[in-house]
Amino acid sequence: MIRNLILLCLALFLVLLWAYTGGGSEPRADLAYVNPSGIHTLDPARMSWTQDFRIALNIWEGLTTYHPRTLEPMEGAAFYPPEIADDQLTYTFKIRPDARWSNGDPVTADDFVRGWRRCLEPGTATDYTFLLTDHIQGAREYVDWRRGGVLLLTALTRLRDGEKPTEEEAVAVAEALTRKEIGARDARLHEELLVSGEDREVAAYLREADLDWAGLYREAFESHASAFEERFAEVKLEVPRPDTFVVRLTSPTAYFLDLTAFPTLVPVHESVELLREGHEGAPITEEGLVVYDPQWTKPNYHRNEYPGLITNGSYVLADWKFKRRARMEVNPFHRDAGAIRCRTVDMIVYDDLNTALMAYERGDLDFLPAMDVAYDHEIARLAISGERPDFHACTLLATYFLNFNCVSSEVGKRNNPFTDARVRKAFALAVDKRAIVEQVLKRGDRVARSFVPPTAIPGYDPPEGLGEDVSAARSLLADAGYPDGAGMGTIELLHTPRDEVVCQALARMWQDRLGLRVELRCKESKTFGEDKANHRYMIARGNWYADYNDPTTFLDCLSTGNGNNDSGYSNPAYDELLNRAAAVRERDRRAELLRQAEAILVERDFPILPILHYTTPIAIKPHVKGLKPNPRLLFPFRYVSVER
Amino acid sequence: MIALIARRIIQGVMTLACIYTLTFLMVITVPGNPFRQSERNMPPEAERALRVRYNMDNNWAYFVQFLSGAVRLDFGPAFTYSDWTCNQIIAQAFPVSAMLGFLAILLAVLIGIPVGVISALKRNSWFDFTTLGLVLIGISLPTFVTGAGLLIVFAVYLQAAPVGGWGTLAHLPLPVVTLALPFMAYIARLTRVGMLDVLSADFIRTARAKGASQRVVVWRHAFKVAFLPVLSYLGPATAQAMTGSFVVEKVFAVPGLGQHFVNAALNLDPGLIMSSVLVFATLLILLNLVVDVLYALIDPRISGAL
Repeated sequence: MIRNLILLCLALFLVLLWAYTGGGSEPRADLAYVNPSGIHTLDPARMSWTQDFRIALNIWEGLTTYHPRTLEPMEGAAFYPPEIADDQLTYTFKIRPDARWSNGDPVTADDFVRGWRRCLEPGTATDYTFLLTDHIQGAREYVDWRRGGVLLLTALTRLRDGEKPTEEEAVAVAEALTRKEIGARDARLHEELLVSGEDREVAAYLREADLDWAGLYREAFESHASAFEERFAEVKLEVPRPDTFVVRLTSPTAYFLDLTAFPTLVPVHESVELLREGHEGAPITEEGLVVYDPQWTKPNYHRNEYPGLITNGSYVLADWKFKRRARMEVNPFHRDAGAIRCRTVDMIVYDDLNTALMAYERGDLDFLPAMDVAYDHEIARLAISGERPDFHACTLLATYFLNFNCVSSEVGKRNNPFTDARVRKAFALAVDKRAIVEQVLKRGDRVARSFVPPTAIPGYDPPEGLGEDVSAARSLLADAGYPDGAGMGTIELLHTPRDEVVCQALARMWQDRLGLRVELRCKESKTFGEDKANHRYMIARGNWYADYNDPTTFLDCLSTGNGNNDSGYSNPAYDELLNRAAAVRERDRRAELLRQAEAILVERDFPILPILHYTTPIAIKPHVKGLKPNPRLLFPFRYVSVER
Repeated sequence: MIALIARRIIQGVMTLACIYTLTFLMVITVPGNPFRQSERNMPPEAERALRVRYNMDNNWAYFVQFLSGAVRLDFGPAFTYSDWTCNQIIAQAFPVSAMLGFLAILLAVLIGIPVGVISALKRNSWFDFTTLGLVLIGISLPTFVTGAGLLIVFAVYLQAAPVGGWGTLAHLPLPVVTLALPFMAYIARLTRVGMLDVLSADFIRTARAKGASQRVVVWRHAFKVAFLPVLSYLGPATAQAMTGSFVVEKVFAVPGLGQHFVNAALNLDPGLIMSSVLVFATLLILLNLVVDVLYALIDPRISGAL
């Protein structure tokens, strides 16, 4: 019996081993680099993480691309520079005739329209819709119309299926009825609706009403689907000829060419349409969403005769194993394919960067774009002192700061004193940032006195900001009605597990210097993010990584109603300065207006308290040439050569 | 026997239903937002569109939808890694974890049992004390310490093994040994205690009295009985080892299921949380069933009692 069992086990063992080694192992790529968390998505319209952009940048190519060191825009799939009209609102891009997809097809202006449109459509778009809605004529109106349509259609499907709509959905239905967009033939509906006024009553009425929901749904769906292309034509992305792409902007945008290199604004090959989901022949789903089979980003996915992912960058994705490895190979149809010396690149996932560092030391990896390990201060020391010439300290275009909740009078039944700018300023003046940078973190970060990192963006000098001044902080607190902190109650500081040490130091400073009680509240990042976005905090850790090389990537975050304005700050004077800057064409004048705006943030109102500008160590093996540390950690591999 | 199996399968299905419902309740009540990506806030309209698309705006509908998918072994999309379905993720990761776990348990059994038997036979000898010490170390040292230690010694200094990864024979020994150590230690202890109990029993004295050799006494008479507690431990232990150890996978960069299990919870990814919980629970139930059947085969007295 037992002997049989052992034999069975051994047989199983041998089968497993045979299966395991049967796959064989591929030879190492020319360049191997680490990605600690894996790829979240390769759909450009849905991307939000630097690790994903790092791949997208290499497999896709926008109208422009980034210079490998300065990240200035340079020639991409279109000739550079494009033709810019005198009013700086119209950009005419000529697509290069040698711009090719990885299956040899020419890249056309329509491919760009398709790619950019995916960043707008509800269903495919996520975090970066604003890049288009803020700048392209007609884009915001189109997106608003689409979102309204989706809301209405969702509500009607729900009513049709006998489910209860939410209040918001019910109101959307009621509005569509009263505006006679649907149900125009049935006069009775409108009379009944006009009787009720409150949103809640409308919702309750609709839930009870015995209407022909299926008919109303069909009517709404048909009208939305038929206007779908017509409405999009009002978004000013024009294709007068297959190789010409004309973009009309709402205001002269100094950094627009920088945006056109951004990895979400890339073309998408027409083959993706094979995987589009639709409803009754229309290109949208039952709820009005634009939906593609999310598998389209796989190189070996072939449903509906889909050829697998086709891209137009200098590399193609050859293989992608979930949270294990992604291999890129040179795109044979790329115009520079012959000149690219680094032919294959492996992105390898090491969940634990300690292990990645060992793999690097052993030579299994050539490049570590991230080294967030517990001993990163030691790594930073080796990089800065030059003891390890392969370690580089990268100064990033990114700021670590604190948000003050400027809107809520109460937070969790506690009085929130930070609606008063004097209190915020007092807290800001009482912090010894140098101690945090030099004694707590010791990573070689730069002390921040402004939101925008200084010396990083050509033509822009951020304001001086204020230094540490504890006595001024005390008197400000007294002015605000809290002499020596009396009457302020307990202050809450919200942070994630990674910020523990810094937040402890901050709490200590405020306790010792201002005589306050500070309580730390640590939450996991997803919960933390929700609390922060919904103003359920008094002080919350924040960080911001620039999306493009312009001060507005930082400053826009604090404009009224911005989706990333976590402090809820709203100052008409600040908004006004940003708006004026957006309309101005001369660079110096614009920079001056932005500087004035930023001065409001960091010298007067303090909705945020900048602590430091990140410096992060990265490791590049000496035999890897052409890989340059840069402030946004974006690395085009086509300029790399590996001389082992 | 067949009745036993049928009864166990019905019980298993009911257990799975309870586990699913409880997990679902936890997933929908836990604070936080599964659609949030990085530090950036997603526009609320975009988020609502995603909720509609994944049927996540209506808990009851989602409960039914996921369940009906799960019955057909289709676990739907992963939210955090939206280019993949949960099925694809599990299909890529589970064989890796299963392989690693199986080898670890095999190693643990092959070494743990002889060590346990010998230390029982040579009670209070230097061998017994040394293995006792090693067993204590094996049980109490966390795997991230043993794992990192093995990596530093064998991969970095001796250059005898690759630093993490998966795919060739050379990748196997370090994670397998690391994962096996605590199981091995526990099995050795269980065997030793079981053997000590049995060796002083009357029937062993009888066996010796009728002149059976030491080998026959130990392996045919004593071990058969002493093995039973080890066997009942092996069921859950194998399930645990085969569904992936988060720490071992993290330290050795092994692309297994354990890290998805933990990361899915951290990312609040409903589909991936529930599918990995269901896979784990199913495996546990199945292996317990296997153990029960083996029990009945080894000791016919038990089949009635189960």
